[in-house]
Amino acid sequence: MLVYTLRRILILIPMLLFITFLVYTGIELMPGDAIDYIASPEAIANLAPGALEALRESLGLNDPFIFRYFRWLGNIFKGDFGYSLSSGLPISVIVYDRLPATLELAIAALILSSLFGSILGVISALKRGSILDYALSVVGMIGVSIPQFFFGLVAIVLFALKLGWLPYAGRTLPGYVSFFDRLPHLILPSLVLAFTMTAGVMRYSRTSMLDSMNKDFIKTARSKGLPEWRVNLIHGLRVAMTPVVVLIGFRLPSLISGAVVIETVFHWPGMGSEFIQAVRSQNTPLVMMISFFSVTAVLAASVVVDVITALLDPRVRLD
Amino acid sequence: MKKIINFILMLVLIFSLVILIGNASSASNSNPLSDVRVRQAIAYAIDMETIVEGLFEGKATATNNLVPPDDAMKAEGLNNYAYNPEKAKKLLKEDDWDSDYVLDVAFYYGDQQTVDLMATIQAYLADVGMKISFRKIEGDTAAQLWTAPEDRVNGPAEVDWDLCYGAIAALTLNDYFDRFGTESHLNSHTPTDPELDALIETTNTTGDLAVQAEAFKQIQAIINSKVYAIPLYHQQLFIYESSRLDRGTSEYGNDQYFYDWGITGWTLEGSTTLQGIGAPTENFPAPFLNPGLDISNKLLFDRLILADANLTPSEPMLAESYDLSDDGMTLTLDLRDDVKWHDGEPFTAADVEFTFELLATVPACHDIARSTILAIEGAQAFAEGTADSISGISVDGNTMTIKFEKINPNVLLVLSQWAILPEHLLGDTNPLEIQKDKFWQSPVGTGPFKVEEVSLNDFVTFSRNADYFMESTGNIETILLVVGGETEGDLPLSAEAGKIDYAFGKSVPEATAIEALDNMKVTPVNIRYTRLLYVNKFPKK
Repeated sequence: MLVYTLRRILILIPMLLFITFLVYTGIELMPGDAIDYIASPEAIANLAPGALEALRESLGLNDPFIFRYFRWLGNIFKGDFGYSLSSGLPISVIVYDRLPATLELAIAALILSSLFGSILGVISALKRGSILDYALSVVGMIGVSIPQFFFGLVAIVLFALKLGWLPYAGRTLPGYVSFFDRLPHLILPSLVLAFTMTAGVMRYSRTSMLDSMNKDFIKTARSKGLPEWRVNLIHGLRVAMTPVVVLIGFRLPSLISGAVVIETVFHWPGMGSEFIQAVRSQNTPLVMMISFFSVTAVLAASVVVDVITALLDPRVRLD
Repeated sequence: MKKIINFILMLVLIFSLVILIGNASSASNSNPLSDVRVRQAIAYAIDMETIVEGLFEGKATATNNLVPPDDAMKAEGLNNYAYNPEKAKKLLKEDDWDSDYVLDVAFYYGDQQTVDLMATIQAYLADVGMKISFRKIEGDTAAQLWTAPEDRVNGPAEVDWDLCYGAIAALTLNDYFDRFGTESHLNSHTPTDPELDALIETTNTTGDLAVQAEAFKQIQAIINSKVYAIPLYHQQLFIYESSRLDRGTSEYGNDQYFYDWGITGWTLEGSTTLQGIGAPTENFPAPFLNPGLDISNKLLFDRLILADANLTPSEPMLAESYDLSDDGMTLTLDLRDDVKWHDGEPFTAADVEFTFELLATVPACHDIARSTILAIEGAQAFAEGTADSISGISVDGNTMTIKFEKINPNVLLVLSQWAILPEHLLGDTNPLEIQKDKFWQSPVGTGPFKVEEVSLNDFVTFSRNADYFMESTGNIETILLVVGGETEGDLPLSAEAGKIDYAFGKSVPEATAIEALDNMKVTPVNIRYTRLLYVNKFPKK
């Protein structure tokens, strides 16, 4: 088991290197570089002749691509995350600043969606064929198929502008100290994010519950004369939840990478909105750092899931 | 026999002369746009008045000139190329325009309005028998737009477009015109015109304002008659204010720069917190390239001289008095001795000298500021690293004397736009990496407001500087800026939610949306921001 785990972890390293190299190449293939985005084209025309070249030189952008990639990689191992090319702020400061915001939003949405998703999915399975089941299926389809930003904008217009119940953007304001001061800011983005995530969990748990309710052990439980709620919740649900937990486990990395769309719509100062800005302005060190964190989180989550599966099912370890 | 041969030779000579003269007014090289008639035809073919009314809902000014309306330097009596498709067709016919030739039009804005405008222009030109295709330039726009040819007379062009839709944001009139001269590194489009070059030279070197004004007007006449560019419209700046804000007697100017906007005299009804948009998402921007675009920079920092709403330097500020000698070669500044930085340190001549040194060495600095500072005696040597200080600056207590090596018309303007920065906090920083300094996470200035709280990418608050040296009659104690910017759709949303007391922007759709709100007031201001079609007249590669 230990060998299996170690092997899984060792495979991560070349994968991580390969993926970061791919991302770096991707940024490289975009036309232009960070200097082209430091100001509007009209303002850039106001620079002295040669100033752009001097800026590129001072930021090391004129070095060959491979050289820059390995320099970045070397610095990461030294713990130097570099500076944001557009503002000069150290990237460690940016990450330290954004991560709590992203965690707050993602955890709230993950808890809400897992809770509502599994409860509604189970109800839907148990009341299979009822009006409630159909209604939940329709809501689930809507949640999966309509893009997040649309829900976000509708929620802003309705609850923030027309009704004025909740703030429409941002995470905090001056004078807010505790989490509860900020709570009104969290409600809209986390609910919208949770809504779209709920649909997935709901569909998953419904199918899985239906599946397990047809199994032999359920019939046995029924034939033993157990009350129906006990059959459903203790025997059926426990088995049905395993794949749902795996799905939720795979969503854990989004705690770090952030919800790009929702964070942008609601001006939530997390990793996701930062990532969009960084890509737009070709801020290579920042894009690389956020991708590095996200990739590591995704790979780590997959290892954890693999190891848990292996623990549960010894056949997996045999290869 | 000899007579006959002579006669034939004469005929040939006359004939070839006629051909030469006939050709002189048509294309001067292989690029059909080098023929003035083609350029005139394009100007006549586009109905800018109708476009302004339709596409821009009247919130712009159609034009035939780069210089905006009510600018003192605007030349009168120019040909305004009023919409005249028949005349355009006639000009093209004279030129034998090849109706299958497709003009390549480049632009660099990402908004829908630009695409709509391109499609409209395409339709107008199709009406007179010209084909265009348009495309957005991506990546290194500066290189693709402004790379000048090595041979400024014959080309070939280093850029591949025929027409380029762009804008000029001009702080001085030279920003409009220098780029049409041979000396300019931005001139990718206009072959050398000695007459124009001489006039541009005059505007840059004369100390006599009347001579300069006359030269500016002649330049406008040349660009107009030879259609070196096709000016389309002047964009306005929209200043947004909530109904609870009273700006008192302060005038409206171009809020993208620094002028006497009178914020210390503003009063808010029912609150002392002014709300706005534009908090920095990462660091505060160092004010070298855009001296006044950022609101925070105008709240935090002062200038030596205060400009009026027309951006004319006119009042003392950090300099209690200033005097530029008649020959324009010596500047004397008497600095105030009652000014303190927000951290309590006194403001001194060392700060001014340090700021000048920065302007000479920071790479991302506006060329007007840089070239003005480099005109000081010894500044070039300092910038090249061969001197430790700028020898032309001498300091005696609070009096500074600055000697110039050559006349520069923008000295006072630069002192009225570029902020003075604290030597005691930035003095040890490498100018090449100045934006990386921790200073920009919470800058310290001498201005009417100081940084109170920064929550990066969220909001920033400023509090009133109780020690400010200028009198404050308004009631604003706190200024709250949240993140968000122009063209992202944030302004109308925030304004509707009652979160904007003051903001400004150039987007017409945003201005229209905010105008529709009951709680907001929109004031349009004419600014030096002109949209135009650059015309590439060099032969193509």
